[in-house]
Amino acid sequence: MKVVFYGRLAEEIGPEIEVSVLPSCSVADVREMIAAEHPDVAGLLRNRRVLSVVGERMVRDDYRLVAADTLEFLPPVSGG
Amino acid sequence: MTVVARLEEGALHPEQELGALLERAKGDGAVVSFTGLVRATSKGGQIVDRLILEHHPSLTQQSLEDIAKEAAAKFDVSHVLVVHRRGDVMAGELIVFAGAAALHRRSAFEAADYLMDRLKTEAVFWKREVGPQGSNWIEPTEADYTDRERWS
Repeated sequence: MKVVFYGRLAEEIGPEIEVSVLPSCSVADVREMIAAEHPDVAGLLRNRRVLSVVGERMVRDDYRLVAADTLEFLPPVSGG
Repeated sequence: MTVVARLEEGALHPEQELGALLERAKGDGAVVSFTGLVRATSKGGQIVDRLILEHHPSLTQQSLEDIAKEAAAKFDVSHVLVVHRRGDVMAGELIVFAGAAALHRRSAFEAADYLMDRLKTEAVFWKREVGPQGSNWIEPTEADYTDRERWS
């Protein structure tokens, strides 16, 4: 499954990575897997203001993913 | 009623944006606009040469439209206009224009204030300040989130 990052997460991890996911794993599972591999940004990944997006829609941590999904992690946003 | 939200790659021209808003506001009694500039110093007092505004291919435009539409629905306004830069914006350049027209001034003031509080915390951008010392990611402050909560 493709996982896409933006902002500081993209700078630290890269703009996108491929991860292998077990059937019916959740957004939280993928988040924890990536956090374990990237301890420098584990705190940021677990920040409640980081948004998870699948198919251009915000999803919650318990959203069940399939291999064809692209999961995007958006760190805290700020305009103006 | 018009609601316009635009992601702008090039320079922002507030006189043109305000002119367009005034043109649409025929019959209204008030137009309020806010123009944001890139500060030349960071919160810590370091020199800032430019801001880099990264954006999402679809969600950034969507966020600007949602914020503009919700301002139009929440206040008694006749027109809302939001224009936001993306990419590299040099210190001293304009980064955002937010305006509203209404029959009466209070609604226009409130709508412009609301637009900026939402944009600061919900517009989908990732900002980096770049200066001689390197670059720093800029995230909303707790005060920004508190300002946003005023409208809940």
